[in-house]
Amino acid sequence: MSFLNRISKDKAGTILFLTSLSVILITLGIIQTLLFETITFFSDIAEHRGWFSLEWDFGGIFSASGFACLLLVVALILDYESKKEKNRLSIIPQEVWNPHHGIVKAVFILVVLQLLFNDSFLLGLSILFLTMIWRATGKLQMKRIFGGNIEISNTWRNVLFLFIFITLFDAITMNYSGAFGEFFLQNQWTPTGACEDRRSLCDTMSFGVNSLLLTTLQVAFGALIIAVPLGVGCAIYLSEYAHPRLVAIVKPTLEILAGIPSVVYGFFAFIYIGPLVVQFGEYAFANGWIDESPNVLNPINGAIVVGVMILPLIASMSEDALRAVPNELREGSLALGATKIETTMKVMIQASLSGIVASIILALSRAVGETMAVTLAVGTVAVYTSNMFLPAQTMTAYIAQRVGGDLPFGEIGYLTIFAVGLYLFVITLCLNLLGNKVLSTYREAY
Amino acid sequence: MKDIDKLQKRNRKLRDLTERAGSTGLAITGLIGLLFLGVLVWQIAEPTFIKGEQGEITPASESIPESDYRFKWDFPTVDENGEPFTDPVVLRFGWDDENGSHSHDVEINVIETRQVKTDIYIDSTGVDQTEIDVGRKTNFNAYSSLTVPVSVEQISGPVPNADETGYPAVNTFVITGDVHVLWDDENKQVFQPMELLGWITLLILVVVLTWPNVAVLNIIQKLKGRRTLIKLASYVLAGTTFAISDGMFVAAALGSICWLVSGVILYKIAEGIERLESLGRELSETSRLKHSISARDGVLMWSRMLLFTSTLFIPLLIDIPFLTERYQDIFIPYASGIRAAFYGTIWVMLIAMLVSIPVSVGAAIYLEEYAKPNRTTKLIQALVTNLAGVPSIVFGMFGLAIFVKQDGFGWGLGPSVLAAGLTMGVMAMPIIVLAGQEALRSVPRTLRESAYGIGCTRWQVTKDHVLPSAMPGIMTGTILAMSRIMGEAAPLVVVGATAMILFDPEPLAALNGGNVNFTVIPIQIYFWTAEPDHAWHSMAAAASIALICLLVAMNSIAIVLRQHFRKRLKS
Repeated sequence: MSFLNRISKDKAGTILFLTSLSVILITLGIIQTLLFETITFFSDIAEHRGWFSLEWDFGGIFSASGFACLLLVVALILDYESKKEKNRLSIIPQEVWNPHHGIVKAVFILVVLQLLFNDSFLLGLSILFLTMIWRATGKLQMKRIFGGNIEISNTWRNVLFLFIFITLFDAITMNYSGAFGEFFLQNQWTPTGACEDRRSLCDTMSFGVNSLLLTTLQVAFGALIIAVPLGVGCAIYLSEYAHPRLVAIVKPTLEILAGIPSVVYGFFAFIYIGPLVVQFGEYAFANGWIDESPNVLNPINGAIVVGVMILPLIASMSEDALRAVPNELREGSLALGATKIETTMKVMIQASLSGIVASIILALSRAVGETMAVTLAVGTVAVYTSNMFLPAQTMTAYIAQRVGGDLPFGEIGYLTIFAVGLYLFVITLCLNLLGNKVLSTYREAY
Repeated sequence: MKDIDKLQKRNRKLRDLTERAGSTGLAITGLIGLLFLGVLVWQIAEPTFIKGEQGEITPASESIPESDYRFKWDFPTVDENGEPFTDPVVLRFGWDDENGSHSHDVEINVIETRQVKTDIYIDSTGVDQTEIDVGRKTNFNAYSSLTVPVSVEQISGPVPNADETGYPAVNTFVITGDVHVLWDDENKQVFQPMELLGWITLLILVVVLTWPNVAVLNIIQKLKGRRTLIKLASYVLAGTTFAISDGMFVAAALGSICWLVSGVILYKIAEGIERLESLGRELSETSRLKHSISARDGVLMWSRMLLFTSTLFIPLLIDIPFLTERYQDIFIPYASGIRAAFYGTIWVMLIAMLVSIPVSVGAAIYLEEYAKPNRTTKLIQALVTNLAGVPSIVFGMFGLAIFVKQDGFGWGLGPSVLAAGLTMGVMAMPIIVLAGQEALRSVPRTLRESAYGIGCTRWQVTKDHVLPSAMPGIMTGTILAMSRIMGEAAPLVVVGATAMILFDPEPLAALNGGNVNFTVIPIQIYFWTAEPDHAWHSMAAAASIALICLLVAMNSIAIVLRQHFRKRLKS
């Protein structure tokens, strides 16, 4: 009765409340649709191949992943030891904790070389982790010796545990099968096969989504490599250096860049960037850096064009973050005798870091969810390869390409796009949640 | 001491150098974005308008009185057996006009001399030559004075080599005829004189009112006390314009609306003069003119927008085949156009607006004005923020499962304009909610509190005080959201738009069982880019330019609205 009373008391308010409920309805609708079809998809595969099973192979400990796991365990021990009040690390000489810059640079070169020749992503990541923990431990040790505020945070430990689990799992498991094992852990994506019945599955089909995920990540991170320096540089220039008249020109230009539809960018990539990348790829092929001759459609092409697309987003959001920093900080730094570039690099960027990071995370989410440009630029062949000059397929491109033909309801091809879509939705949702959280922290700070 | 001075000096030099290098670097990174834009526009414009590769794209031929075609003659000299070609090349020119279909063969002898060429002229009697000589690697032209497209087909002879871009040269072409301009002697006029006169009157009025001077004030003074006459005259002129038009509805409607709006402007001026007089003043200063036509009604702004929209319609009335033709055939790219895609875009946008604007503005008002800070509100807020970041293709899949398919929870609308519009409306909703909230938040607190203070209810405060002040922000946000979904192709690919549409889309086909197929401009660009034939890529480039023009038009409307309302709030 109280609800009816409320309606009769405040009709406008109730109607407005109902309109806002539509947002909940839409979200529920999206999640319901994706989940419903995905569950059908997984249970369809599980009928044939079971839900999940894997084979162990302990010989894999001696592989690159096993070595990566070892490095991560060393990093974890270092981290654990360094947090103790009286640790055993003091027997290691100071020079190790305070290495020459050359050694740090050598480590980064080692990572790149490792990625080029050994091609193990996890090993490269673990070398980076070890270096970071080494530096952090070193800092802590130096502070212990020379005095200073020691703050201990355990954030890294959880990340390390997670990655140790991943590398160990990667090292000692051989074959995954069953619905979940195949979808999340296998690398081959061949969702079409010659089966008698269109509805049914057969053994020639394979649903390893990692093939699509790898290309998606290649494109997204490649785009970040291009867009972050340009975008953040542009933001710094606009907020700190540029003449107001130039800002009046550049800001609308950025808005126009942001407003150009993604399919036009795709056309641009297809016509213009692709042939340029092929020229470079042919040079690389002639020198023997890559195994196969390049194609016009490739992830590098996609990364460049998506980078151009997310550049305005990063630039405008970072500029907002930089403008939100109070003027006192800038003036204080200048009054202390710092030059303008020092003020920018050491004060302004530090102060607006969370805003910049949020813009990068949200841009990453945009890059992962980008569809048309990527479909036109990257190609439609789902392969699992680290050679970025060959055509590949991202998750969004798979959905767009597969749905282009008329898909009957309930067929396995129709179900795959929802499984891939749900995976994509979860990834972007996590990134958005993270980005918005980081964004709200900087909004609270100033 | 000296050493320290030296050291400091060197350090300062170093710092200066870093300073300069750093700021230069930042400037360069900032300008690279501009460079990208420039390259993008150039790359789209170059194959379309400048290079004009195999045949002119029709919008570019607007300024050319007779469209001509330039043939590239870069044929192989030997065949696969190594023997030289001796066969002549035969081209077949064909067209359809009121006298039936014509077809003429022209034999081309390729001779060794480089610079020899003969041009071909085509008119209603036929092709003027049956045999011509052309030198190797020499371009020759075909000129057409027909009003219908002429197709060229290669009947015999060697297949052309690939051109420099790596695509095989096209051996099926289309020559388009004259572009009909405003007054065409052979065909009927596009605009009747009355319609054109109405448009010009409005244009002159708007120009005069925007930059008034003392001379026109004296003329305007004479309007005093003639309100009834103005009213009557505008009605009569609009009616006559509509009555004597020759059946072209859009042109007649535009003309008569122009007359009516001109009448309204003059009426308002006369009213303003009388009001000034009752206050004991006279219209002697130019600055008072705009006040006299009462800026609150926004007559000037609406008439400016009318002029703007009518300029958008003019290319459709003038016969530019790229804008007025639909998809023709896979083999004749240059005869196709974006008419079906244009109408599809308009319908999808209209349906999306109808669905999303009421609901999302309502939600924004609820979240900002009514909601108590409890758990439900927080949930809705979080959902809105995160929905705005969901990839567009996921919305497309939502539309596919809910609106398009019949099984499960589906509504079974099929791949129709209606389903596409609903999907796009759902997609635009979170964007409009966020923009609306931003606009409502920027309304000063004091406005609300003073309204509550004199005893308004919450709905009265919202309706009469908060909404009018927040309107510019809401409208701008809405138009920007619309321009964003106008360029989106991904959800519509999933919903099931197709590229080869031979008819204009019907908006309600899903309900009354008509032809549900539809297309929009981004979809057209996508499918044309995916075609292997290089000629379609030029069409995609032209369609891209058309789309960008539409988007820029929408954004400038948003800017005009924002500025108008901002001024009004200030006054």
